[in-house]
Amino acid sequence: MIRTAFLVASLLLASFADAHHSSAMFDKNRVVEITATVTEFQWTNPHVWIEINIANEDGQEEAWSIEGLGPNSLFRNGWRPNSFKAGDVIEIRFNPMHDGSNAGGFIGAKFSDGRTLGRWD
Amino acid sequence: MRPFGGSSGIISAFDSVPVMQMRLMPIFLLLVCQSAAAELPDWSGVWQRVEGNGGMFDVSTTEPPDGRAGSPGARQHPPLTERWEAKYRANLALVAVDRLPDPISRCGTPAGFPRLLALPDVYEFIVRPEQTWIITENGPNILRIYTDGRSHPPAEEMWPTFTGDSVGRWDQDVLSFTTIGMIGESQTVLDRSGMVLSDQATVATRMSLTDEGLLRAELEIDDPLALTETWHVVRHFRRMPHGTKAYDYACAENNRNPITDAGQTLTLDTEGKVIDKVIEDD
Repeated sequence: MIRTAFLVASLLLASFADAHHSSAMFDKNRVVEITATVTEFQWTNPHVWIEINIANEDGQEEAWSIEGLGPNSLFRNGWRPNSFKAGDVIEIRFNPMHDGSNAGGFIGAKFSDGRTLGRWD
Repeated sequence: MRPFGGSSGIISAFDSVPVMQMRLMPIFLLLVCQSAAAELPDWSGVWQRVEGNGGMFDVSTTEPPDGRAGSPGARQHPPLTERWEAKYRANLALVAVDRLPDPISRCGTPAGFPRLLALPDVYEFIVRPEQTWIITENGPNILRIYTDGRSHPPAEEMWPTFTGDSVGRWDQDVLSFTTIGMIGESQTVLDRSGMVLSDQATVATRMSLTDEGLLRAELEIDDPLALTETWHVVRHFRRMPHGTKAYDYACAENNRNPITDAGQTLTLDTEGKVIDKVIEDD
């Protein structure tokens, strides 16, 4: 169980409607916003993946996989292959999985220097 | 000295003007082709679809109007026969429980035509006098449209394929072509709402630039099995800023979302192990 989860309006919206697969596994009515540490960034087709560690309620680190869109469209929207680096401490928002598993659909991220990617408003 | 050389008796038998004509022929043909190409419209650059709705093929009949293909309850209203309306409703029911098997989600086969006109990511339209290629980054897909005067092949030389066979012609700035021989419902859908056509479908397409600079594709779709009358669909593409590039789309590169035989989309971790806590039986 992660520390912070709250309900807001759906933010997943348009993006994952164009994913190469169904996005129904993500709960579009829930948004998790939490501090995370990046462990790996997979800049790959058909989706990029942000691998992160999140502290659970007991303070123990859990590995989560956050799925983004494809690298081509993201590149044209300002992302780069090194947008996330292992060790980055970020604030991240995502739609969690319906079944509570450790994955989610990316919404936005804020870096320690104030930069943001995705939706962060 | 002869201006173009040639010392053998055979060559010299064609001496002078005929030889010059033969040697200048490639240059003449090149100029003819360049002239023909110069008369074709400029569809260069990289383009992106205008109509979105998550790839819903016919946004003009989509209900609700902002309904996205793949969202429960969202559908379009082609003039379907009773039997194919039932097929569509069955697929819509699968969408409602997230079990529609969209073939392209498996990263193995192309979207095919006409779905390839409704894909995300970007497009390139390569225009030559004898042939036009529509290249979609997503997939990728290639639609080859022959405009060199040929006809569709005879029936015995055709078999169902994802893009079928497209032949057409230019009428000033308008490209008109017909497409037949598409594989249909056995291996393709038109969108993730579950809309399908049969392998008897034919599509007549007209493409041209609008006054606003959009590339407009008007489709007249006929299908003796699926449709009661011609289905009219219009789609548009917007040219992206100069310098925009298209890139590789390799769906199988790192596909961490395999689909079970039951149609469930799974999620894998970096080691390839299933993350999902709930996996339905096939």
